[in-house]
Amino acid sequence: MAHAQISTYLPPNINPTQAAIAYGCRALPKLNEELNSEDLLTRQKALMALCDLMHDPEYVYEAIRIGFLESLKASLKDSNNMVRIKTTEVLYNMATHNIGRDGFLEHDVILALSFLLNDPHPLCRKNLHKAYKHLAQLPSGARGIISNGLIPLLVWKLHREEEEIQELILDTLAPCLQEDATEALSSRVVPFLKQKLLSTNGNIRSKAARALISVSIPLEGKIQVWQHDVIPILVHLLKDDEAEVQANAAGALMYATVTTKGKYAALDAEAIKPLLELLLTPTSKVRLNATKALTMLAEAPEGRKILQAHVPIFRILEEQSTEAVKRAAQIAIKVIEWKP
Amino acid sequence: MASALTDRTSRSMNTYTYTSRPRALPCHRRRYRDSLMQPDEEPMRYGNIMYDRRVIRGNTYALQTGLLPGQPDPLQLQKQQEAKRRALARKRTQEQLRPRTPEPVEGRRHVDVQTELYLEEIADRVTEVDMECQTDAFLDRPPTPLFIPAKTGKDVATQILEGELFDFDLEVKPMLEVLVGKIIEQSLLEVMEEEELANLQTSQYAYEEMRNAELAEVQRLEEQERRHREEKDRRKQQQWEIVHKHSETAQKIAARSFAQHYLADLLPSVFGSLRDSGYFYDPIERDIEIGFLPWLMNEVEKTMEYSMVGRTVLDMLIREVVEKRLDMYERKEDKHQSVNPDDERGGSGAMRDSPVSYHFQDLSMSQTQRPLPYDEELAQERKFMDEKELLGQDEEEN
Repeated sequence: MAHAQISTYLPPNINPTQAAIAYGCRALPKLNEELNSEDLLTRQKALMALCDLMHDPEYVYEAIRIGFLESLKASLKDSNNMVRIKTTEVLYNMATHNIGRDGFLEHDVILALSFLLNDPHPLCRKNLHKAYKHLAQLPSGARGIISNGLIPLLVWKLHREEEEIQELILDTLAPCLQEDATEALSSRVVPFLKQKLLSTNGNIRSKAARALISVSIPLEGKIQVWQHDVIPILVHLLKDDEAEVQANAAGALMYATVTTKGKYAALDAEAIKPLLELLLTPTSKVRLNATKALTMLAEAPEGRKILQAHVPIFRILEEQSTEAVKRAAQIAIKVIEWKP
Repeated sequence: MASALTDRTSRSMNTYTYTSRPRALPCHRRRYRDSLMQPDEEPMRYGNIMYDRRVIRGNTYALQTGLLPGQPDPLQLQKQQEAKRRALARKRTQEQLRPRTPEPVEGRRHVDVQTELYLEEIADRVTEVDMECQTDAFLDRPPTPLFIPAKTGKDVATQILEGELFDFDLEVKPMLEVLVGKIIEQSLLEVMEEEELANLQTSQYAYEEMRNAELAEVQRLEEQERRHREEKDRRKQQQWEIVHKHSETAQKIAARSFAQHYLADLLPSVFGSLRDSGYFYDPIERDIEIGFLPWLMNEVEKTMEYSMVGRTVLDMLIREVVEKRLDMYERKEDKHQSVNPDDERGGSGAMRDSPVSYHFQDLSMSQTQRPLPYDEELAQERKFMDEKELLGQDEEEN
């Protein structure tokens, strides 16, 4: 019988590892069937083809409508490494789109993914955490992650994973903690974050400080931050080399010093001087957070006394910078010059 | 090569058979120059069963019997064939008459020679080879080998020089455009996706900054508000306490002064009233008062009672005496008729007058009563009188 191939050599632009993508609207249903087939090779090829297709949001929408997520959930439990890795990659690609995220929340993919948290293959876990990270950017996604009880697990994992994955976990935790930090606080997230603040990797430090910002938004978080003596470390981080770390440390300080105890702890740790130095860095985030932190400290009488000498710097800031920094500088000046 | 004309059907009408021997197709191409030696062959009569008139085709229920108008009858056919034969013979004769190359000169021979570059073997006869094959009775038919046509001995080479077939640069342009276009399109898509993600990231970042700053501001203001409120509350409390104390103190002072004022004359009045009610007493005086005076009073009372009793007795006595005297007098008046009523009454009145009056009464009585016989009564009277005098004197002394 005649084959469609003319010669024994394949044409040069076909990827042999990918399944052939059918034309038009038949592409996704056919891939769905292939995904559920018993042959390992077929499944793998289908997954590879899917990875490429999922970059297009229209395909993502179509896929979710057809019910691809069920097949993907089933293939998450596959025993073959490659299948799992590719499935998580597909899910990660879908999570970069809003439709994908909504689909995740509807079809309960978070729970299915969480079974892979202990997967032996690091690439699989990495994709998994990337998917979680993108999901957490959406507020309802963050709530979904929290309601599935993943926060204590993630916090626990923070310690045991490799550095790249730690970064991803920290990125995931930050928005989740902004939504609801009570569960995390009860699972001892603050000591863990404190340890991460001292790590050698600059990215991890900055992300840990970012997570601390989210933790110290609610009152309970502020109290815990003060109790665990994180404030001196944050002050120390203000002198760090990386701008991102400085900015996030200043932000964490800004929230932690809202309470009176925090204020005095910061003043004891000599926070004012580094913060003043930070006011003149080029990064606007650093300036903004430093200004806000100094405003908090100026509420206390001792702080106000020290800062009264430095009001000119705030005036300079008021003139030159972006809108947010300008407003912050004005507020700072008002607070410093307030008489009871 | 026997002609394959059909057998005449005159032999038998029962069966019609047609056979045709396989033969190589004659090539009517004039290969060589016509030679004088070779006679022209008659054209082969061949029969193709597909185009045989006698094979009935089509519907058999409307057979054409007889001659068709378009076709000549057999007689005509034979005549035509003979005509053709005659024409052929005529052509042959004419060919023989055509001028040919002259006969070779003595000692020479004309030979046909090929003058082309490559010699060609000319053969009229087509090589025919009889082949037979017979499958081996005991073997299966082997699979047909791949048919590779044998080389017939013609080597042909050709060289295509640059630019002969097509202009590469011109032809490749559209293809290249498509290829490059597709690649760029795909990469643009990917880059755009990444750029979009990066843009989203930066805008999210900026938003987050603003959000954090605003949130911190809100919290700070809340905190400030709370502290101020607490401070205000505390101060108010303090102030209220001060005022309260103030008013209390004022009240206390006022009350104290009023009380002082009120009680200023309390003390003397207290002392006065106490003194008045006898709380400050001289013990001796008290003793006298408590002990002595009641006794004294009792004694005085007794004495008074005695004197009263005495007086009463005296009054009784007097009364008796007077009555008796009266009787006597009445008896006497019955003789004398003398009355002594006046002094009776006066005697029972004031005590001071009484001894004097009694004295007078005594004198009067004694004067008037001397002549009486009752001297014992008068002696009693006197005793009583003396006692009374004593009593009276005591009384007077008192």
